[in-house]
Amino acid sequence: MVAVGADLKDALARCAGGDKAALRMIYESECAAMIGVAARIVKRRELAEEVVQEAFVKIWRNAHRYDPGLGPAKAWIYAIVRNQAINTLRSGRREDLVDEVPEDAGSVVEAYAAAERLPDGQALRRCLEGLEARRRTSLLMAYVDGFSHGEIAGRLGLPLGTVKAWIRRSLLALRECMG
Amino acid sequence: MTDDLIATAGEYVAGLMSPEEQETFERLIASDPVARSAVADWRSRLLALDETAPRLTPSAGLWPAIETAIGAARPGQAKPGWFARLWQDVSALRLATLAGAAAALVMAVLLVTQPFGGAGKPTVVAVLNAPNTSEAGAIVEAFADGRIRVVPLRAIPVPEGRVLQVWTLWDRQVGPRSVGLMERAEARDYATSGMPRPVDQQLYEITLEPAGGSPTGRPTGPILYVGRGATPL
Repeated sequence: MVAVGADLKDALARCAGGDKAALRMIYESECAAMIGVAARIVKRRELAEEVVQEAFVKIWRNAHRYDPGLGPAKAWIYAIVRNQAINTLRSGRREDLVDEVPEDAGSVVEAYAAAERLPDGQALRRCLEGLEARRRTSLLMAYVDGFSHGEIAGRLGLPLGTVKAWIRRSLLALRECMG
Repeated sequence: MTDDLIATAGEYVAGLMSPEEQETFERLIASDPVARSAVADWRSRLLALDETAPRLTPSAGLWPAIETAIGAARPGQAKPGWFARLWQDVSALRLATLAGAAAALVMAVLLVTQPFGGAGKPTVVAVLNAPNTSEAGAIVEAFADGRIRVVPLRAIPVPEGRVLQVWTLWDRQVGPRSVGLMERAEARDYATSGMPRPVDQQLYEITLEPAGGSPTGRPTGPILYVGRGATPL
């Protein structure tokens, strides 16, 4: 069962009122996808479930803070999942060092598959495709894999400053392209 | 909306900020509606990427664990039960584990100065740290035969009418189990039974409980020291 946006918005409002059935509804609809999003970042299934568990606790406690004027409920929910995944992975630390590239780096980067799975004709896909390949990859590695600037620089063999500048410019280009 | 704000909000949404940058930016979000909508805008635009994630079926224990974690607390209550915080707040526990780095040295010294004579090698060793600092407070050595040795590393004040209680958790479904009581901070061996062989990442902690130990069989008092076990080489 996948809920539509209005259902999620309504469910958050009910969570804010203490209705556990509404949280369960979000769980039924989104939990599997939430684990998928978390797993792309933490790279371990079991850890991804811990992330999602914590995310649901945060959704429950913060549901009253969701402002429908600031975008879809789903975007709010997934922002919590991604934040929690990154925090879990880094235990609150982001180090801007160029990290050693693990042996199996190629196998754990999810950014490429994510871009390919975007629906054809969607503005985000079209605009990402308009970016130079390595710039696109840098941005996707950050969002999809939760990599830090340093990790991206290490994986792509680029200076840290280059990666930082590329991502900022790519964000602006993306925004302009999407209108 | 300036380009600078658009790019910065994008970095925030992509999770690229250091904790300090994040904190600063979150203060801005709290006070500035333009920054708030810049963030919301990126979240909406990039949501399609989250929708490309594979759906992974949750394990059967996940929903019960969530229900336990949210407990009877109503949403919006700022203060979750300390119990839920301890056992569910993975990040806090990870922090405690991190803090173990500093304590590793202490442990190394201890292992050298107290070789495991005829006692055999512990299956799991844990350094317990104060929850909010990197202060190491005790070492736990858990043996395959169920024996658990707890060695405090510093004086732990125990007020009148209270007692230290040692706990372990190996399975959230089972919940924390008492290892034993400690009237004052001193090295002690506990014989336990009915617990599975200690495992890597098993959680140990010391709480302050009423004399005689926790009346509920679960930790009720403040956590003094907490840490995860590791298998010694």
